[in-house]
Amino acid sequence: MTEYPDRDPDRSTAADGELDTCIEFALNGVKQIVRVDANAILLDVLRNNHGCKGVRASCERGVCGACTVLVDDLPVASCSTFAFSVDGASVETVEGLAAPDGTLSPQQRAFSECGGFQCGFCTSGMLMLTTGLLRQDPQPDRGTIREWISSNTCRCTGYEMILESVERAAELAGETNGESA
Amino acid sequence: MIATPESFTHDVHSDAASGGYTVYSLPTAAPGKRVTGRDLPRADATAKVTGRAVYNTDIVRPGMLHAKVLRSPHAHARLVSIDASAARALDGVTAVLTRNETVGLACYGTMVKDQPVVATDAVRYVGDIVAAVAAVDESTALAALDLIEVEYEILPAVFDVEQALDPSSPTIHPVEPRGGLPPYRNGASASLRSGHNVSYEFRYSTGSPDVWDECDHIFEDTFRFSRMNHMHLEPFVTVAEATDDEIEVWTATQSPFNLRQELGHVFNLPENRIRVHVALLGGAFGAKNGPKADPVAIRLSQLSGGRPVRFCMSTEEGFLTVSQHAAKLTVKAGVKADGTFVARTSTVLLDSGAYAEHSPAVAEKAGYRMPGAYRWQHIDTVCKAVTTNTVPAGAMRGFGATQTTWAGERQVDLIAQRLGMDPYELRLKNLKKLGEEFVPGDAGIDSDLAEGMRLVADAIGYHTRDRGGNRGMGVCVGLKDSGGGNKPAMARVKVTANGDVFLNCALTEMGQGGHSAMSQIVADVLHTSRDRVVYTRIDTDHTPFDQGTNASSGVVVMGQAVRNAAENLRRQVLEWAGEQFALDPATAVLDDWTVRTPAGEVYPLFERIMEYFGHTGFEFSADGYYKVRNDADAPLAARCVFYEIGWAAAEVEVDPETGKVTVLQLAVSGDAGKVINKIGCRGQDEGAAVLGLAQALFEEMRYENGELLNAEALLYRVPLAEDIPERFVSITQEQGHGAGPFGAKGMGEGGMLPIAPAIAQAVADAVGAQLTELPMTPERVFRALSIGGVSSLLPLSHA
Ligand code: FES
Ligand code: FES
Repeated sequence: MTEYPDRDPDRSTAADGELDTCIEFALNGVKQIVRVDANAILLDVLRNNHGCKGVRASCERGVCGACTVLVDDLPVASCSTFAFSVDGASVETVEGLAAPDGTLSPQQRAFSECGGFQCGFCTSGMLMLTTGLLRQDPQPDRGTIREWISSNTCRCTGYEMILESVERAAELAGETNGESA
Repeated sequence: MIATPESFTHDVHSDAASGGYTVYSLPTAAPGKRVTGRDLPRADATAKVTGRAVYNTDIVRPGMLHAKVLRSPHAHARLVSIDASAARALDGVTAVLTRNETVGLACYGTMVKDQPVVATDAVRYVGDIVAAVAAVDESTALAALDLIEVEYEILPAVFDVEQALDPSSPTIHPVEPRGGLPPYRNGASASLRSGHNVSYEFRYSTGSPDVWDECDHIFEDTFRFSRMNHMHLEPFVTVAEATDDEIEVWTATQSPFNLRQELGHVFNLPENRIRVHVALLGGAFGAKNGPKADPVAIRLSQLSGGRPVRFCMSTEEGFLTVSQHAAKLTVKAGVKADGTFVARTSTVLLDSGAYAEHSPAVAEKAGYRMPGAYRWQHIDTVCKAVTTNTVPAGAMRGFGATQTTWAGERQVDLIAQRLGMDPYELRLKNLKKLGEEFVPGDAGIDSDLAEGMRLVADAIGYHTRDRGGNRGMGVCVGLKDSGGGNKPAMARVKVTANGDVFLNCALTEMGQGGHSAMSQIVADVLHTSRDRVVYTRIDTDHTPFDQGTNASSGVVVMGQAVRNAAENLRRQVLEWAGEQFALDPATAVLDDWTVRTPAGEVYPLFERIMEYFGHTGFEFSADGYYKVRNDADAPLAARCVFYEIGWAAAEVEVDPETGKVTVLQLAVSGDAGKVINKIGCRGQDEGAAVLGLAQALFEEMRYENGELLNAEALLYRVPLAEDIPERFVSITQEQGHGAGPFGAKGMGEGGMLPIAPAIAQAVADAVGAQLTELPMTPERVFRALSIGGVSSLLPLSHA
C-alpha cells in the first residue's frame, strides 16, 4: 500500500495496487497539491487528509446533503464525488466561511440568529448550500429557497427555521455588500 | 415580543397568508421571573455554524482500528456452522468476532435481556449481526467479511403480530431470557412472557366495569400504526478501548449511565471499570438509548489487544438496528347518547421485532397512555410487546403515545360521526380540566387542554371554515405523561475565583437545546451572563449521575437538579462573603460575581477570594439533586412530573380522483410552561410536527413477506423542505403550570402526537373517507373513499 505522510487510517479507501493520481486544487482559497487514490472520495480526502471535520458524513449515498461543499461555486455532495474530479477546481467547505479573524459570515450569523439548526449535523451542508444559492441568486424568493433547501435533509428542525435563516442570510449579505460597495 | 392573548389573536389573523411563529402567554405564566436570555441564540451556535462542533463520529484515537459486521440475510435461521479462518488470516485483520468469542458475555435489553453481542444459536431478523471484524481500515474489514462462511438452516419466520401470537407459529426465543420488572401499583401490573412470543405485557385498569351498563352506545374499532425509522443524520458510532479488565468508550448515546450499567452486565465488569464519554449527538430521537455499536466495538478491542476500535454504522445499518413500533390497536368505547365518554378498553399489540430492546418500556407507556386527554369512568388497557422476525423496535419520539394517540383520537372522530356530533365539540365535552388527575393517584393535568385546542383551531379558521371543494379541517390533542417521574438526576456547578462557571451534568445535547436551557438556568440563578457558563463534556467517571436524556424530561428533571446545584452554590458563596465582608447572607444578592447588600454596598469577589485562598485560586462547587418522591398511589410508582401535550389543527385538500392529500395549513402548539429558550422551544415543536406529518402521509418502513424493502437512504423517503405545508403556524404556549425551573415543562415529543389524527380528521371532513391505517397514502385514501371506509358509520353530516 502506498504510504502518505499525512494520511489518517480513518476511512481509508486504498487497496493494494490501485492507481493514485496527483491533483491540485484550491481548498478554501489555499492551493493544495496532493496524491490521492484513483477511487478516493472527496469527502474522505477533505476529512482525513485536510482535517476538514466540519464536512459531515451521513448517508454517503448522495441523498442527505450533510457532506455538501462548493466546487467552483456550486454545491455538490462530497460523498459522491471522486477526489480526482476536483483537479484544478476551487473547493470550499464550512471551515472557509468565517473570516480569518473569526468573524462569522452572513450565512453563519443568520443560522445562529434564526436557529436554523438543532443537532447541527446537517448545518455545514445547509450553510454551503445557502452560500451556493446566494452566489447564484442574491435575493431568492421563498419558492427558490425551498427548492434549493429540498436537496438536503434536516431531520430535526422541520425546515421553517432553516428557510427563515436563508432569507435572513440574503438580507445580511445584502447589507454587507451594500456597506462595502 | 411576548404576545398577550389579545395581541396573539390579532397576530394570527393578520398573518393568515404566511404562517409563522408566536409565543402565547396565559396570565398564569409568572411574568416577573427572569430567565436570562430567552431570546439568545443557542449556546452551541458558534461551534455548529463554524463546523467546529465535535460529534461522536469525529473521535479519532491513536492507532485506531475499524470494524465491520456481517449481517444475516435470513429472517430466521439456525446457525449451523461459521468458518472464519480465512478472514482471520487476512493481512491487516486484528480480530474476528463470532459466537465462539462470546463465551461469558451476557445479553442486553431493557427489562428483557435477550439480545446477544453477535448471534449465538440462531439469527432472528434480516440484519441480525452474525460476525464482526476489526482491521487496519474499513476496506480490509469489508474484504475479510467476504471470507467468512456461514451455514444456515432456514427456520419458519413470522412477520406480523397476530401471526406471532398464534401458538402454531414458531417460537422466536425458545429459552427464557433474563429480565426483571419495575414496581407497579394502583391498577397497573405487568408480566414477562405472558404468552406465545410475548416478551412483556402491561395492563392498567381503573373504575368499575359495571359502568358499561350505563352506556347508550358501545363502539369497537381497530387501527393500524406504521413503522418509522429514526434516521438521525449522525450514525450509530462507538470508539472502544477495552481489555478484559477495563472498558473505555466514546459513543453516541443518550444515556451514558444506563449504558455503563448495561455494559457492566454484558461484559461482567464492575461499573467503576467502565468509562463512557459522550460528545455532541447528531440527532437521536430515542434511537440512541441502550447499546448500539458498543458491544461489538468493545469485544473487538478486547480481542485486538486493547487497541481502539471504531465501529461506525452506515445509514443502511441504522435501518437494521432499531425502529419505531408498528402496532395494531383495538379500542372499545362506551358513550352516552349525548356524547359523554364513560368507558374505554383497548388491546395494543406492539410489533417489537426480533429482540425486546426498549419495547417493554414503550409497551408500559402505550398501555398507560391509552386514556389520552379525556375523562373516562372506567379504563382497562392491555399492551403486549410481541416478538416477530423483523428489525428490533425501540424508543422513538412519542414513545408509545404516538400509537395510542392515533387510535384514540381517530376513534373520537368515528364516535362523533356515529353520533352526528361535531368532533371538536365532542372533544371539548370530554377533555380533562386543568388540575384533574390523569388517572386516580397520578398527578393533575398541568395545561388547559381546551385553551390549546381553541388556539390551534382559531389559527386555521376552523370554526368559519368553508367545506366546499374537497377541503376539510381537523383538530386534535395528544397527551402523554412525561416519563421522568421516577428518575433521579444530579448536577454540579463550579465557579472559579474569577466567576467563570462550569456546569457538570449528563444531559446529552442531541439537538434539543438542553445545553442552552441548562446554562441559562445556571446563569439566571447566579445572575450572570450565559456566556460565562460552560457545559462540560460528559464522562461517567466525573459527571454526576443521571438516568438518561429521554421523554423530554430534561428541562424539568435535570433542570431542577441544575437549579438546585446553582442555588446551593449561590448560598455557599453568599455565606462565605457574609463572613468576609460582615454582611447578612440572607439579604445580600449575588450579581455578576459581586455581592450587593440592600444598603447599596457592592463587594467584588475576585480580589477577596484570591487574598483569602493565598493567591493561588479557588473553586466553589455545589451539587444538586432532584427526584419526584415515590408514591404508593401512583400506578407507575411515582407521580408524573409533567404532562406533555401537543395540539394540532390541519386543513387539507383531497383529490378524489387520486386520493392525494395536500396539507394546506398546519397549526401546531406545545406548552412550554415557561419559555427558557425561545429558539429551542420552537425547534422542538416544529421538528416533531414535521416527523408527525411525514408519518401521516408517506414515511414508513415497508415490509413485504418479511423483506424490508426500503432500508436505505435512497429509497426511504424523509420529509424535505418542499413537504412543509404552504401555511405552517407554530405557537409555543406559556401556561405557567410546569414542574420545572420557573414553571417550565418539557417539549419535543408532544408535537408528534396529534399530527396524523388531525390530518385524518381533515380528510374525513373533506371527502368523508375515514382512515384507520397509516400512512395515508393516496392508495389508502382512494380505497377508503370507494368502499366507504369504516363500517357502521353514518354519513358525515355535510357529505
Ligand atoms: S453524506 Fe453525502 S449526501 Fe449524505
Ligand atoms: S439540525 Fe439535526 S439534522 Fe438538521
